[in-house]
Amino acid sequence: MTPMSAASRSRPVEIEDLEKVYGEPGSEQMVRAVAGISFAVEEGESVAVIGPSGCGKSSLLNVLGCLDRPTAGIYRLGGRNVADLDDDELAALRNRHIGFVFQSFNLLPRMDAIENVELPLLYAGTKNSRATAEEALGRVGLAERKHHLPNQLSGGQKQRVAIARAIVTRPSILLCDEPTGALDSKTGQDVLSLLLQLNREGATLIMVTHDLGIARHMSRAIQMRDGLIQADGRPSLVVGAFHEGEMG
Amino acid sequence: MQVRDTTKSAWRSLVGNPMRTVLTALGMIIGVASVVAVLSVGEGAKSSVESRIRSLGSNLLTVRPTSAKSGAVRSAGTRASLTRADAEALGQIPGVTAVSPEATGSAQIKSTVDNVNAQVTGVTEPYFEARAVKMGEGLSLTTADDREMQRVALLGATVATTLFPGASAVGERVQIAGKSFRVVGVLAATGDMTGSDDGVLVPLTVHQKALFGSDALGSINLQLESEKDNDAVQSATSSMLRLRHRLAATQEDDFEIRSQTQMLETMSQVTGTFTALLGAVAAVSLVVGGIGIMNIMLVSVRERTREIGVRMAVGARRRDILLQFLVESVVVSLAGGAIGVLLGYGASYLIGSFGGWSTVVPTYAVTLALGVSVAIGLVFGVSPARRASRLDPVEALRTE
Repeated sequence: MTPMSAASRSRPVEIEDLEKVYGEPGSEQMVRAVAGISFAVEEGESVAVIGPSGCGKSSLLNVLGCLDRPTAGIYRLGGRNVADLDDDELAALRNRHIGFVFQSFNLLPRMDAIENVELPLLYAGTKNSRATAEEALGRVGLAERKHHLPNQLSGGQKQRVAIARAIVTRPSILLCDEPTGALDSKTGQDVLSLLLQLNREGATLIMVTHDLGIARHMSRAIQMRDGLIQADGRPSLVVGAFHEGEMG
Repeated sequence: MQVRDTTKSAWRSLVGNPMRTVLTALGMIIGVASVVAVLSVGEGAKSSVESRIRSLGSNLLTVRPTSAKSGAVRSAGTRASLTRADAEALGQIPGVTAVSPEATGSAQIKSTVDNVNAQVTGVTEPYFEARAVKMGEGLSLTTADDREMQRVALLGATVATTLFPGASAVGERVQIAGKSFRVVGVLAATGDMTGSDDGVLVPLTVHQKALFGSDALGSINLQLESEKDNDAVQSATSSMLRLRHRLAATQEDDFEIRSQTQMLETMSQVTGTFTALLGAVAAVSLVVGGIGIMNIMLVSVRERTREIGVRMAVGARRRDILLQFLVESVVVSLAGGAIGVLLGYGASYLIGSFGGWSTVVPTYAVTLALGVSVAIGLVFGVSPARRASRLDPVEALRTE
């Protein structure tokens, strides 16, 4: 693990004037999905990114997850500017500093639960990967289901396995993309509670969602529209403003 | 990611979709099986030729005439360079235990039933030991037959059944080039390509004086006491023949001396070339098999784009993805090759038992087949694996 400065330890994510542009600059097809935004996330925060479809949430999430590079601006993850990193270093960052939780779980269908959880450790080259993976599966309460294939698990269980996979390398941030979007409300509530509990245990949580009910459970909400931040602050205030915006 | 984990995951993905895996490997299976079968036929032919030549006795030198040359011009015909007198002189060389002079020619053989064109060889008694000839029925030719110019003949097995179908030829009469001969014996069938089944043997004097009117010998075979004498006898033979043929120091030999070993080498070269040619044809199917692998791997990369995206999201580097697909194509190719080797053994066995050819699967064919399978997996797996490793993670994750 790379040593981090004291300043960056408290701010795992910092972005400045971040832009993500698709298509040829100046052409008809050019889309400024993220149009120059700045914010920082403190360690241990839980942040909901909300906004209507096409507001730039997903593009922002891809950049934050080091799956995509910003067109302009600076993104520092754990104090390192990702613009300076090559593909292999980005892969290592995704492996060790970021845990992804997707709406559609994205478990590998031919691997059982424990193997899915173990996968990031295999890419990290960790010793004792099986034991570490079992511990992570235990934390999400699925130690008993470790040899079940994804299609033998319920939706909520699948998402728990995915969460175990996301936390298994002890990343500095958990990036969630509509983590409850494919679940019924009861199961969704359970998954949300699990994520919030992991957050209380120290994981920094960044969650893209359009479910305002979920956003209210976070410590902070960022509302986006047309690639820009419209509001950033306590969820009750931001969500309230969002409602008014929707109605007005 | 360690190679062991990669191999495990490759194996799992192949076993998880058995139908696709079998179809992918089918080209390799057929290709390797046919290469192994062809090489086994070639190897079988080679060892049967070798054992045939060895059965002639390992201590045999063969002297043959070559066309004479004056200056740079090689004369068109073969001069009668070897004679019976030469043969008798060579018999005096220390270390030579027997001399078998032979003359060859082609003539029409007629019975009352049928007629054939056959190779007629004039021989003396030592011929039968030197060439390890086995009699089928009747008597062999003797020194007395030769001395007394008896018009007697031995028929090859095929000649005998053609001229006297369903009956014994021994005691019957045949016309050789219009002259009447008594059949005293029939040779045992050999079934090989030396032509003895299709030939006729007569006493050498009869061959030279009554049938073909030529003193020229086709070859002189020298039986040696021991293989150790080989070099000494070769050089003694050479100098004696040069002396007898009055060759000046500047003239080339008008004969050639070849030992059993040299003949073996020549025959091996012939069958080796034959095998290589057939093997090359079979190898084309390996290339087709390789293209099959590439095709299915490309489909597989497309089908598993989302999986590739997920792997990248959890930290797979591009080279991890490359390695994964490369290992998969090598594993499927190697597995196909292994099955192909087994089928090749089976095919070789069937050819041996029903085709009547002797077949031997050479060890090198198995090593070669498996090595080539790995190489083909690598070569044809590179392009799909590179395609997989170059996918954009965002795009890959978005794929359904």
